[in-house]
Amino acid sequence: MSAPAVTVDNVSVRFRLYHERNNSLKSAVMRGRRSVHEDFEALHNVSLEIPAGSTFGIVGRNGAGKSTLLKCIARILYPDSGRIVTRGRMASMLELGSGFHPELSGRENVYLNGSILGMSRRTVAAKFDEIVSFAGVGKFIDQPIKNYSSGMYVRLGFAVAINVDPDILVVDEILAVGDAAFAEKSRQKFVELKAAGTTIVMVTHAISNIRQMCDSAAWIDSGRLVSIGDSNRIADEYTAAVGLGDDQQQR
Amino acid sequence: MNGYIRELWASRELLANLTMREIKGRYRRTILGQLWSLINPLATMLVYTIVFSFLFRTAPPVGSPSGIESYPLFLLCGLLPWTFFSTTVISSITSVVEGESLIKKVYFPRLNLPLAAAGSAGFTWLIEMGLLAVVLLFFGAWTIPWLPLLLLFMLLQTMLASGIGMMLAILNVHFRDAQHFVAIALQLGLYLTPILYPITLVQQLAADRGHWVVDVFELNPMEHFVAVFRSLLYDNRWPTAVDSLWCVGSAVVLFAVGSIVFVRNERNLGRLL
Ligand SMILES: Nc1ncnc2c1ncn2[C@@H]1O[C@H](COP(=O)(O)OP(=O)(O)O)[C@@H](O)[C@H]1O
Ligand SMILES: [Mg+2]
Repeated sequence: MSAPAVTVDNVSVRFRLYHERNNSLKSAVMRGRRSVHEDFEALHNVSLEIPAGSTFGIVGRNGAGKSTLLKCIARILYPDSGRIVTRGRMASMLELGSGFHPELSGRENVYLNGSILGMSRRTVAAKFDEIVSFAGVGKFIDQPIKNYSSGMYVRLGFAVAINVDPDILVVDEILAVGDAAFAEKSRQKFVELKAAGTTIVMVTHAISNIRQMCDSAAWIDSGRLVSIGDSNRIADEYTAAVGLGDDQQQR
Repeated sequence: MNGYIRELWASRELLANLTMREIKGRYRRTILGQLWSLINPLATMLVYTIVFSFLFRTAPPVGSPSGIESYPLFLLCGLLPWTFFSTTVISSITSVVEGESLIKKVYFPRLNLPLAAAGSAGFTWLIEMGLLAVVLLFFGAWTIPWLPLLLLFMLLQTMLASGIGMMLAILNVHFRDAQHFVAIALQLGLYLTPILYPITLVQQLAADRGHWVVDVFELNPMEHFVAVFRSLLYDNRWPTAVDSLWCVGSAVVLFAVGSIVFVRNERNLGRLL
């Protein structure tokens, strides 16, 4: 088997929870530069491997540490200990429409957002029509983005992000974007990406997504890896543990 | 470090786009649009001219060899570089705090944020200095042969401002008071740099109080930049070697230190913001 696309090796992340934070000079001086804090471990010795070309799901309760893990993989956070190795070009969808400027038009924002996500101007130009038609914003594309409905906003953000063409795509809870028709279109897009060999790492609360889209999955609780393996088995274990059926989505 | 530079180079289109976002977004929905970036310095110039030229009777030096003698033009040769310096330092600092949502959601070389702030301020400054050169030409100062040197020193001053801005941006993430301190320091700086008055005024003062007064004034890199811009634009002669060396030295050192401090700390931005 080829080298894994993502290797997470014994990763721990600690956040400092400040009770009284020295965010101003005054408080730093008053307390003699000591701020009152305690450490909170959001991830504890997590190790996993994600095979290249596979779709990997992450499940767990709110606050389990899923987003923290994704952010480490996406190089937004750096772990306090342990190591992460990724092989290939990476793009992350942790939020849609990152860097959209409300006063600029949809067109200008597509180029801006594209370059934030690492696309070249030429790539965006080549995919521009596809992006606009996928987002279904039509003639609004030359309107300032603040006139968009929130649905149009996230659809445009999704359309740009899905066209980045990375080797590894990291996705956090954004599959429920837009109406049913759009959700179906996006699922289709993920199928295409997978067929093209993209490694996809996704956090989702819809167990049906884990079963249908993922090859394997991991269940995280309180920053620890509870179980990892075949996606159907993880889905079974997780639903049994939290006592929910498949179609009930935990929020 | 090498890897970082390669990555930064690969993200140059992002830098261009972030800069354009700043430039285009700033005056959207204003009737005068980009003209505001010219109206603002002109209004400031008018205020200072009334106060210092008409009320305090500050005499402008005669440009030599250009022969021009005009307080507003003398003032603008120093005021435009200072305004740019001040805008760049402040907006570099705020670019990081304002970029919080981006920093927490997407990976990209963070250095692009302060660099884009400097770039968008630089764009306005370039237009202002270009127009100033034309106006000076109209009043009889032969500025044209000095334009290449002008561009070089503008680039150096951009490095200086950007380097200082990057360092303070990191400090500001830890202590949000920093940006308010800096704003006050910059207001003082306008008066402590010979911009509204010629350096000869300070030299006269030093004749009574001792030469250390001038020495202290000259520790300020912006004093040397203003002197160079006045030589090039107002006087139309070569800047002195001392001023030029100060400019090159301070720009290179502060830009290097600023970017190293920034890059060393940028990994933590995702947590600290
Ligand atoms: N920047 C931060 N500072 C302090 N605590 C944080 C920070 N980010 C996340 N946390 C905490 O870490 C835990 C895991 O968060 P997260 O990874 O977002 O969970 P989820 O599994 O819901 O995505 C939560 O308890 C959250 O409050
Ligand atoms: Mg989350």
